[in-house]
Amino acid sequence: MPTDRFPSPFDIATPEGAEGWESMYDWYHLFGPERRELDEQRFWFADRLHHPDVLHPYDEIQCECWWQALGAFNTRIFAMPPAYGVDQRILNGRLYVTPVPAPPGDVAARAEEFGKRAGHYYERWDAIYAEWKEKVLARLAELRALRFDPLPDLEPESTVYEHVGTSAGFRMIRDFNHLVTSMYETYQWHFELLNIGYAAYLTFFGMCKSAFPDITDQTISRMVGGLDVELYRPDDELKRLAKEAQRLGVDLGEDTPAAELFALLTKTDNGAEWVADWERTADPWFVVNTDPGHPGGYHVHPTWAEAPDVPLAAVREYVRRLDEGDAIDRPTDEVLRERDRIAGEYRELMAEADRPVFDETLELARKVFVYIEEHVLYIEHWMWAAFWAKSKELSRALAAMGELDEPEDMFFLRRYEVAEAIYDCVVGWSVGSRPRGADYWRPIVETRRRIYDALKAWEPEPALGPPPAEVNEPFTVMLWGITTSTVGEWLKADDEGGKVLRGTGGAPGVVEGPVRVVTHVGELGSVEPGDVLVCPATSPSWAPVFSRIAATVSDVGGIMSHTAIVCREYGMPAVVGTGNAVSTLRTGQRVRVDGGAGTVTLLDEV
Amino acid sequence: MVGGGVSGPWIVALGDPAADDVGLVGGKGAGLHRLVALGTRVPAGFVVTTAAFAAAVAAPEEIEAPLRALPADAPVAAVEEAAAQARAALTDAVRSAAARGDVPVLDAVRAAYRELGGRAVAGAGPGGQTGAGSGAAGGGTGVGATGHPGVAVRSSAAAEDAADASYAGEHDSYLDVVGPDAVADAVVACWASLYTARAVAYRRGRPAGPMAVVVQRMVAARAAGVFMTLNPANGDRATFVCEAVWGLGEPLVSGTVTPDRFAVNKISGEVVRREIAHKPTRLGSAGTEPVPDAEQDLPCLTDDELAELLRIGRAVETAAGAPQDGEFAVDDDGVHLLQARPETVWSQRPRTVARGRTALEAVLATLTGGDRDAD
Repeated sequence: MPTDRFPSPFDIATPEGAEGWESMYDWYHLFGPERRELDEQRFWFADRLHHPDVLHPYDEIQCECWWQALGAFNTRIFAMPPAYGVDQRILNGRLYVTPVPAPPGDVAARAEEFGKRAGHYYERWDAIYAEWKEKVLARLAELRALRFDPLPDLEPESTVYEHVGTSAGFRMIRDFNHLVTSMYETYQWHFELLNIGYAAYLTFFGMCKSAFPDITDQTISRMVGGLDVELYRPDDELKRLAKEAQRLGVDLGEDTPAAELFALLTKTDNGAEWVADWERTADPWFVVNTDPGHPGGYHVHPTWAEAPDVPLAAVREYVRRLDEGDAIDRPTDEVLRERDRIAGEYRELMAEADRPVFDETLELARKVFVYIEEHVLYIEHWMWAAFWAKSKELSRALAAMGELDEPEDMFFLRRYEVAEAIYDCVVGWSVGSRPRGADYWRPIVETRRRIYDALKAWEPEPALGPPPAEVNEPFTVMLWGITTSTVGEWLKADDEGGKVLRGTGGAPGVVEGPVRVVTHVGELGSVEPGDVLVCPATSPSWAPVFSRIAATVSDVGGIMSHTAIVCREYGMPAVVGTGNAVSTLRTGQRVRVDGGAGTVTLLDEV
Repeated sequence: MVGGGVSGPWIVALGDPAADDVGLVGGKGAGLHRLVALGTRVPAGFVVTTAAFAAAVAAPEEIEAPLRALPADAPVAAVEEAAAQARAALTDAVRSAAARGDVPVLDAVRAAYRELGGRAVAGAGPGGQTGAGSGAAGGGTGVGATGHPGVAVRSSAAAEDAADASYAGEHDSYLDVVGPDAVADAVVACWASLYTARAVAYRRGRPAGPMAVVVQRMVAARAAGVFMTLNPANGDRATFVCEAVWGLGEPLVSGTVTPDRFAVNKISGEVVRREIAHKPTRLGSAGTEPVPDAEQDLPCLTDDELAELLRIGRAVETAAGAPQDGEFAVDDDGVHLLQARPETVWSQRPRTVARGRTALEAVLATLTGGDRDAD
């Protein structure tokens, strides 16, 4: 039955067995009675783009990082004229967000400030970005150099002879703080350039739309698309390794597990050469997170380097295609030529008076776009992979010390609780006494594991509260792919029978094919050539699959999402931001994907 | 002013350089000449010039007298009446002059028509002199039982098809006219259409004529339609739109049938919209006839034809330096351009979206909604 609003967050029931879930998350992250009046008037949508799954208590830090940093840079630093930050709440373990508009009366004054502040960055963009890379890489190296070992019975002699002046226990406390604040600081840097970059990109976008009302989002992206960006490097390295395997005559087998295969290969000279190449390449290019949603969003998903069977499957696929005589390289030159041709022709069709500003905004958009694409590798992949790896190292140390029963328990503690656990552990070690340790945490962790499972079974409402008359906040539309019509579809979803799913056209084209629902990168092996991939979202670690499938349908993402960018590059249709394709479609059903109209039509009778 | 003061040849082939003179051949004639000069496929034809009109219509003051006598607020019926009198006077004057044989304009028309028999397509390139009788067999396309070709006879007033006023449909056209006498009669009827009530009203007191008339071979159209080199719904100049029907294009132009509609992106060539209408009938040379069942719901243009039309439309637009609309017909040879003229609605509007802004100003306008204020 059609309704005009989504349920109030205060009316959402706790799933059975999840009672007490609130204790898993920071109190300030929850809907609470103190701000009920405010929160009930706001429109919240499930942020399945960044956080498609239930959050582990420890992983809440991921949300906090961008909650604060995005907000501060929009609201306080650059004075983004129309937009403050994006507010967050956790409900039943899922993240809901709402963009906060700036007061309309302040927009003009904020614009003046923004002009000065963002203008400073735009003028020096390339130089600032070069410095940015340096500082991120330096911090990455620093994070990776941290060591979380079980505390020693007796400090090494070096503590004395090198006058270190601190204990290993203190260093564990200090280094955990450093780990956390480093991630926070990196997120400051992440938003130092991101939203002003998006603003410049949106400007070019808006200019094209007003001069050419019929122009598609994809066409605009194609004019801007930087192809020579590092984000594509991991996939390029897979292709290179495939060619190397062919050149060296190394047989990668069919489905031998990576570890076994590598051991086997090292017995021959050529095989050893290839494995050595793989190992050199893996750091950093296979430090790529395999999350189904936003990369690095959860501690549970391994990187390619940690799960080499994933990239290995891709290399095998490339070898197979090479053997068949296919060209596997991206047609970069061709795409670049086409990009310049399209931009040139649209420019010619502009009013002459507009051509200079078209040129200038296109140049700026191309410049910022490199960052928009590449920062994902630096922050979402490298920094988060390092953060999770170090967190796991710490969890092993704590478990070894008896502070926890097993390493994974740590992720059922909030980060503040982890700091407490470290102190408990350290002080027990320091005094030579007994921490409360695992005995204290055991019932808490047990309860939370049970709650976590109960929350996983809950299908989150796509949105909460009163929908806005119009969704026109530019970042919401561009990043999350949420538009007035998406929200309307969500409201209608119950009474339509689900024959047609609507999202955003991410890449043009129309194809029909069988659905293959994949929620995790580990399931990519099941994908058959010609399948329509239906997934929460994709990330670069999904790259190998794009050469096999006919189309992609994602739950989340806008035209700038990874899915849309990659599908445009591969020339296959994509519909992104459908909201509920994964829960609606089943593997084997036949669908028609129209990447221009943004629709997915179920062809089988339901 | 009607008649007098125009000198020059009475008959000019569409490919003749003289056909570049709007004063001599009218807006439509000059437009067609430019299309021929561009090398596009245009049906062969000639123009009965304004000089011919001036010679044939000897005493325009007398002809216009009933209209001049009308008060400014004359009722519609009175305008109709006076217009009919003017048309009759014009027709009588031309016929009696022709009968006397002292002004052989209509003989020249008949002769040019006979020469046209041999050619189907206008001489490509400005070098073509008369376009008539140049040898290339017309393959019988549009040729009637008598061996005479069917032609379209259309008025081409000097003011017509200017960028600021299209005069669309204000003067008469005659299709599939066959035989020298019928063509001469159609030319006279076109002249007389200067004085239809609607043409008088459209001129709002501006003087009439002089009028040239274009005589062009009919295309035995399998399909025909109109195109515009921008999207008339929103002014998007990267979109090419076209509407088409089976058979001749007249029912589409007059708005009596629902056509297929296509929108093509000029830059990618992609057909971005395709609305195929149910088309139970078509206009052929023998009149309205049923379309075979199997074809009624098929698109009447192939993608190749659309691509050719786009190529032609863009070439014309580029040469003219402004968006165009036009009419076309398709037969076994491909796409024939029947006319093209400047688009008159969007072309008049200011279309700058960000004049003189710097990139930063453009960013600010985007973020504050200031785009809506752009002039």
